Amino acid sequence: MAPLSDLELDELLQAWEAPSPPTNLERSLRNRLKRPWWKWLLTGSIRVPVPVTLAVAAALLVLIVLASVRNPARNPAVRDPGGLQPVKRLEVRIIRSKYEGNN
Amino acid sequence: MTDGEFQAIFQEHKNAVYQFAWRMSNSSAVADDVSQDVFLVLLRGEADYDCSRGSLRALLLGIARNLIWKRWREERRWISIDDESFLAPALDLESVGKQQAVAAAVACLPPLQREALILATYEDLSLREIAEALTVEVGTVKARLYRARENLKLMLAPCNSAIMRTAK
Repeated sequence: MAPLSDLELDELLQAWEAPSPPTNLERSLRNRLKRPWWKWLLTGSIRVPVPVTLAVAAALLVLIVLASVRNPARNPAVRDPGGLQPVKRLEVRIIRSKYEGNN
Repeated sequence: MTDGEFQAIFQEHKNAVYQFAWRMSNSSAVADDVSQDVFLVLLRGEADYDCSRGSLRALLLGIARNLIWKRWREERRWISIDDESFLAPALDLESVGKQQAVAAAVACLPPLQREALILATYEDLSLREIAEALTVEVGTVKARLYRARENLKLMLAPCNSAIMRTAK
């Protein structure tokens, strides 16, 4: 079958009509503009470039490492929720028993 | 942008944007969404329009085109965009009307050829404007347009012979 000529093709292409936009297109557009900002928090999305994501992740990692170096984690078993504090000045008081002097 | 300016632009270009999106996607819902998004981009000042660089129509259609491609990517519609190795398939167009035949044939084209053809044929953009909208060289547009037309000539040949037979 012979292909169409340019003229025949143009004639056929003109037969394809697209519908007109709906009459409420502008109203829908205005409604979207009036959408409260907090709805964006629920449905919105942002695009973050990969290098930025990697940089933020690396910075967070460094911060976590630095924080753990400055404040070494205490042994949770020693922590007392009853209000005990670490000893600031060690004053040892020796209590002798009444039998000690007899030896 | 004042409301009056926006109104003027919206009234002038809404048909072109909607119909381009409809022809690209074959869907009224997609055309509706994309048209709204295009004008929202304009209203929010996210499109840097420089009148010395090209027409506003080309800019809006370029935005529409990018939004359609974005949707396809999000919907994971991995379509082959290799437009050079595309072989026009044989379509059964004898039983359908002219409109459906053209719609089916255009939908079969690879997207890069399809968008060039639609912008040139239905939106009456010049080759330079199409190149701006698609951010490619004019030579690339010419090549895509040529391939699109050659493919359509092959695909729509049965349709034309059917029309000739009905005319007799």
